[in-house]
Amino acid sequence: MNKTITETGELNRSGSFIKMMIVYFVVCLIGMAVMIISINSLMKEHDKKLTGQICDLVAEKMNNSIKYMTTSAQNMSAMLTAQQHRDLQALYDEFADLEGDGYVSMGLIDDSGKVYASEQQLAEFEKWHLIETAQQADPVSISTPYRSGLTGEPVITLFADMKYGSGKKGWLFLTYPLKEIQNMASTETLADETEIWLMDTESNNVIQCSGGDEHGSGSWANAMLIFERNIDKRDVGKYNEWIQSMYDGKQSAGVVYRIGSVRYSQVYANINFMHGWNVVVRIPSSAMSSTMEKFRGVVILYIVTLLIATAGVFVLTHRRDVADREILKNLSIHDPLTDVMNRRALDVAAHNYFQNALKPECAVLFIDVDYFKQVNDRYGHDAGDKVLVEFAALLKELFGDMGLISRYGGDEFLIFIKNADKLKIESKVSDLKRRVHDIKPITIKEGDDFSVSCSCGGALCPRDARDFMKLKACADRALYRVKNQGRDDYGWYDGKKSSREK
Amino acid sequence: MKKFISAAICTVMLFCMAGCEQKKSETVPEFEPAPEFSPLTEIKEGRKNIYLIIKNLNSDYWDVVVDGAKAGGEDFDCNVYYSGCNLESDWESQSRLMDEAIAAGADAVLLAPNDSVKLSAEIEKVYSKGIKMVLVDTIAITDSYDVCFMTDNLMAGQLASAEMLAQLHEKGYSEDETVQVGVQVCATATQTINERLAGFLQFWSNYAPDNWTVISDIKFNEGDIDRGCQCTKDLLNNYPDIKGVFGSDNVSTTALAATIKEKERSDIVVVGFDHSPEISELINSEEYTASSVLQKQYNMSYDGVKTALDLIDGKQMEQKFVDTGITVVNSNNLNDPEVRKTLDHNRG
Repeated sequence: MNKTITETGELNRSGSFIKMMIVYFVVCLIGMAVMIISINSLMKEHDKKLTGQICDLVAEKMNNSIKYMTTSAQNMSAMLTAQQHRDLQALYDEFADLEGDGYVSMGLIDDSGKVYASEQQLAEFEKWHLIETAQQADPVSISTPYRSGLTGEPVITLFADMKYGSGKKGWLFLTYPLKEIQNMASTETLADETEIWLMDTESNNVIQCSGGDEHGSGSWANAMLIFERNIDKRDVGKYNEWIQSMYDGKQSAGVVYRIGSVRYSQVYANINFMHGWNVVVRIPSSAMSSTMEKFRGVVILYIVTLLIATAGVFVLTHRRDVADREILKNLSIHDPLTDVMNRRALDVAAHNYFQNALKPECAVLFIDVDYFKQVNDRYGHDAGDKVLVEFAALLKELFGDMGLISRYGGDEFLIFIKNADKLKIESKVSDLKRRVHDIKPITIKEGDDFSVSCSCGGALCPRDARDFMKLKACADRALYRVKNQGRDDYGWYDGKKSSREK
Repeated sequence: MKKFISAAICTVMLFCMAGCEQKKSETVPEFEPAPEFSPLTEIKEGRKNIYLIIKNLNSDYWDVVVDGAKAGGEDFDCNVYYSGCNLESDWESQSRLMDEAIAAGADAVLLAPNDSVKLSAEIEKVYSKGIKMVLVDTIAITDSYDVCFMTDNLMAGQLASAEMLAQLHEKGYSEDETVQVGVQVCATATQTINERLAGFLQFWSNYAPDNWTVISDIKFNEGDIDRGCQCTKDLLNNYPDIKGVFGSDNVSTTALAATIKEKERSDIVVVGFDHSPEISELINSEEYTASSVLQKQYNMSYDGVKTALDLIDGKQMEQKFVDTGITVVNSNNLNDPEVRKTLDHNRG
């Protein structure tokens, strides 16, 4: 810390606290910025990993839902096969009016391709060539989604092969709304952020099963429009690799890409029995961030609070420090009895003056209280202290606006006057000589005409000397000459040595 | 000192707020709201009142829908009122019109929803009051309607794809040679457009020869014909093996036909949707090969009025979704009676 004492003897710590605070805040802010960047980076990495895993799970769940449906159809066809029905028309008539559990319609197909179904369903068989899908059943097949005339909703039809009559091959079919798969696969967690499609590898067509917009279910689109067109150019290569793995028949794969500022994790998984179709699941990485963002917010809030609290403590400590220093400063530069400067403080101030002034022009006065020992001896130390205090007060009154006053020894005072005006000083000293007689010891008795007097010796710079030590020595010689000549007077250094020195 | 601390705190707060996104202010579109209902047929006391709400009052396509409803009203003896919007995105006006229809004592409402999702609640409101709700042209995402008459766009896309393949074959392109087909769609990837495109690509992937491919650079014209013409020029310039172009809607088809004619690219097969003078000119010329998929929007409203009256009389509909079908018109079948009938409805 940078400590200096001014000409007036004040301790200075120039801007050190502000500098320290600036450094402190800069370090804290840099630290915080680094921490935020690190948290963001960790969050991204965490989100990427977790969303990928969630995509895998959702895709698996979707596939399980479809598998559940196909297994149900297989079980039903196995049961019908076991029952060894001979007439499919009679069998259809038995269950034609049954209310399905989740399915829209149910029917049968015989080995000649004749379909046993409602008129509406028959029209849809013709319209969508569903018989071709039925013939692919081994043991199950699933149609491409289409819009049902019965419900107006997108549906899929499942076919399961069966035996009837004397070993003839037939098929049972069940038509399910697409949203039935969605209902089975739906999950409360991240439901709004998770988008699920069925995707046809050949055409790149996708049909939405689930997404942020609940009404979007069943809507068609094409991967070229919703994925490829929007993906950040930097990620197109990764996306193309992903889609190529789908073309190559790989069971499942994942990719992470950006669209605008959002990063998505996307996986596909083959659907069993639905040739060429895949479940595609996409989750924005930010979906995972909400919890982490709260955590990040709490951390930032904690740090900011800590920073403000620390700054507050710093300021309070600084204020207390300033007050303490004020006390210490007073103690270090003032004489506690007379409240004028002490010798050390005046020396420092005078030396500073001589160091900094190009052409020093000043005066030094040494002033002694005459016969002060007698005051102590005759009237006691309290009386002596009173004399010193009143004498110092008189010096301050007379010389306070001219120079620095210090108690230099027991009864010896030194006055350092800058830009000294000899006549003015002599006038003040004359006043001092006259008024000092008014100072009386505290315990003076009636009839006792003791009065305090003082002797004063002065020296001038540059006339007598050009540095403080020499100037003091000159003033000291002048003082001794006055003392030798009977005291209660003043005199300037005249270049001659005193009798004591001789 | 206080200033310094305040500045430091502000800096910290700025750090914290750095991640906050500024929400863009939404602009309010300026357009005329839908006018009040006008009578489409003679209004007679004691007849059922049917209210038709169309998507756009300034469109040839929707004029045909109005024609169908008018003919239905006259043929089946009911009062038909109609109104619609000046902009196809104005679903608020349609919501207001449905309220007006309820207040006017409608027996049935025929609605072509401008927004399948946002209008669902209002459709449910009409339906809950026992008013028969018939959707035309576009389905809504709700179960609360009686029946929907519209084109099955997935199937329409498949038929357009089949037509493209048939015309390319007829044009003489062999299965061994490289053939590319460009696709252009209008601005918003609506459900209708998506389904047509999905149908087109689905059929193409199943039945097109391996060397015949669809260009993945699907062009958007944002509903602007001039932009559509530029998109078409880009396709012609950038893909030398382009032998076919498909437009999923009226604007795209018009732009494709106009540019093909301008560039005299008679080697390219054009397949599009709906009727326009530009595509009609190509279909009628001997030099060019062009086809257009015409929807039967006349039937949507005509059958819609008929079915609404049946529903009011208490009849039950077995189907909730009726595909009104399409007619593919090309130079070979221009004079078939069925095609002629559809063209006549389309004022073509």
